[in-house]
Amino acid sequence: MTDTNISTNSKAKAIAAIVLPYLLAILASFVASGIFIAIMGFNVPKAFATILFTSFRTPNGFIQTLLKFIPLMLQALAFTVPLAAGKFNIGGEGQLIVGGIGATAVGIIFADLPLPILLPLVILAGVIFGGFWAAIPAWLLYRFGINEILTTVMMNFVSFGLIDYVATQIWRDPAAGHPTTIPIGAGGELPMLISSPPLHSGIILAIIVAVGVYIYTNRTSAGYELIATGANPRASKVYGINTRKMFLLSLIIGGGLAGLSGAIEVAGYQHRLIEGLQSNFLLLGLIIGLIAKGDNSAVPFVAFFIAVLEIGASAMQRTMMIPVEMVFIVEALVLLFVLLSDVIRRR
Amino acid sequence: MDEFIPQFVGFARLVVLAIVPFVLASQGTMLGGRTGLFNVAQEGIMLLGASLGFLGAYLYGGLGYGVLLAVFSGAIAGLALAYFTTTLKMNQFVIGLAIFFFTMGLSTLFYKFVVGVTLQPPLIPTLQDLPIPVLSQIPVLGEIFFNQNSMVYFAILFSLFLYYLLYKTSFGLKLRAVGENPKAADSLGVNVDRMRYFTAIVGGMLMGLAGAYLPMVYTGTFTAGMVQGRGWIAIALTFFGGWSPGLILLGSLFFAGVEVLALRIQVGGFGIPYQFLLMLPYLATILTMIFAFKWIKAPAFLGQNYDREKRSLS
Repeated sequence: MTDTNISTNSKAKAIAAIVLPYLLAILASFVASGIFIAIMGFNVPKAFATILFTSFRTPNGFIQTLLKFIPLMLQALAFTVPLAAGKFNIGGEGQLIVGGIGATAVGIIFADLPLPILLPLVILAGVIFGGFWAAIPAWLLYRFGINEILTTVMMNFVSFGLIDYVATQIWRDPAAGHPTTIPIGAGGELPMLISSPPLHSGIILAIIVAVGVYIYTNRTSAGYELIATGANPRASKVYGINTRKMFLLSLIIGGGLAGLSGAIEVAGYQHRLIEGLQSNFLLLGLIIGLIAKGDNSAVPFVAFFIAVLEIGASAMQRTMMIPVEMVFIVEALVLLFVLLSDVIRRR
Repeated sequence: MDEFIPQFVGFARLVVLAIVPFVLASQGTMLGGRTGLFNVAQEGIMLLGASLGFLGAYLYGGLGYGVLLAVFSGAIAGLALAYFTTTLKMNQFVIGLAIFFFTMGLSTLFYKFVVGVTLQPPLIPTLQDLPIPVLSQIPVLGEIFFNQNSMVYFAILFSLFLYYLLYKTSFGLKLRAVGENPKAADSLGVNVDRMRYFTAIVGGMLMGLAGAYLPMVYTGTFTAGMVQGRGWIAIALTFFGGWSPGLILLGSLFFAGVEVLALRIQVGGFGIPYQFLLMLPYLATILTMIFAFKWIKAPAFLGQNYDREKRSLS
């Protein structure tokens, strides 16, 4: 055997070592949930076909999947960036909402500005507002050492009141039945890439940001300090890294990413602020981040997979009357089996 | 003044009524934490408890069945947490979040499978008040403390029992030692793993029961978001109460008080937009944490797994 043979062989083995546990985890979770679906008296092959292939059957299904993929990936990154430093950001929901409020506020107040000025402002406002919302728990952690899990979650609940106030008192759209603001200026809308079925350019923005995050965490010395802090805070401190500052910074970056997801929802998808725009993105983002084991190069792929499942699940609810929550169990099982594969490998 | 006393009694009575979910979930958190096991799945376990508590009562026609199902589901969740963290040595927060996802998904799934989607949600009869003879006749205090439902008495008595257990028995000393220094406890012959299993399971049971309280006393039905962050607030209360059963019971009056107050002001008007009143419990929680994290001492090994074969514990 030559040297090159060995290296390609070991490379293939390395890739298999990463991908194989994932495939087994997906398989195991489908088997487990398949048993559950069968017990409930539903057609299992049809249910799984619907879950897996709805995204790829029609152009519309695929576009819907991409539209779901954008916020899911950003929410996952909002979780994984602080996670790299060892901090848990469970506040992506609130940061998305407040980011959305910021984007909407700028989009409405400066509605007459032309696109090249307004659009960047709208997006930037989302990032800044989201970052600010995370900065509060981050500062409380930095200054008083308060557990960030608690405070980031509390800020979610505070944001629910805030969005309701904005959508029913400040910029209420009287024509809408559900709490909704009036639309933002046309210059604040993300241009469309495809008009029918509609796909906005937020997808490009999201992918650029994902690549940027990956380069930051995995290819720069600043990102290395972040990961070192998470891996061993005590050693990092001795080495001279200001770990408390890294905690602060990582949470604010996470908030900015979640805020961006809110801004893209407003500028790309709804063109206004609708109460409930956060959907269940936070939980899915956490699941994605954990399935990816915090690896920012894996996040986009896992996020796409989860987006496929989510689109399939809503189709399954429509056509087969199986509750969408079923797919949530599938996702949680995938996570569980992925985590278990680590334990097995360790032994 | 004549107006004030009945108003105060009415308010205080509601506050005592509202401490139950906070107290139960928080004592459950405290128990685990005292052995170093930090459960962060309260919100989900309470949701599942609420769902199964409702469904048990709805299907079998008695609140007791609901309580049983809720407590059982909590025990399973606690067992899962203990198994993955203590036996398999997986990260406590990650597993806690995973259990949070599971229990939350299951809560809605079970409800949808049993009840389906209905215009008018089915209702269960809520828990009746159980005035305690003689004691409930005491002016003011009788009405506030002794004219409540049985779960209120249980929550208070169980807290007192936990205080006794933790601080007045050798079992309690061993339990606390596991969270403060598992290696020392281990070397003295305390079975660290078994202790963690015990507190995780009992803790989970308390959280399930806390969830079941919501449909059984407040609403008579289950809705997807009905725990409304009380599980997370219970974690805050645990810190606020310094991981000690007695102080948690006292501290719960504050969290329940803010909850009732926010509702009261909302009903009373006063011109404050109701959205800001809805934020009040969560803002109050954040503020209390600033004080709590200054003076509390959490168990030294909170959130850390123990591996007796390893030399260091970081």
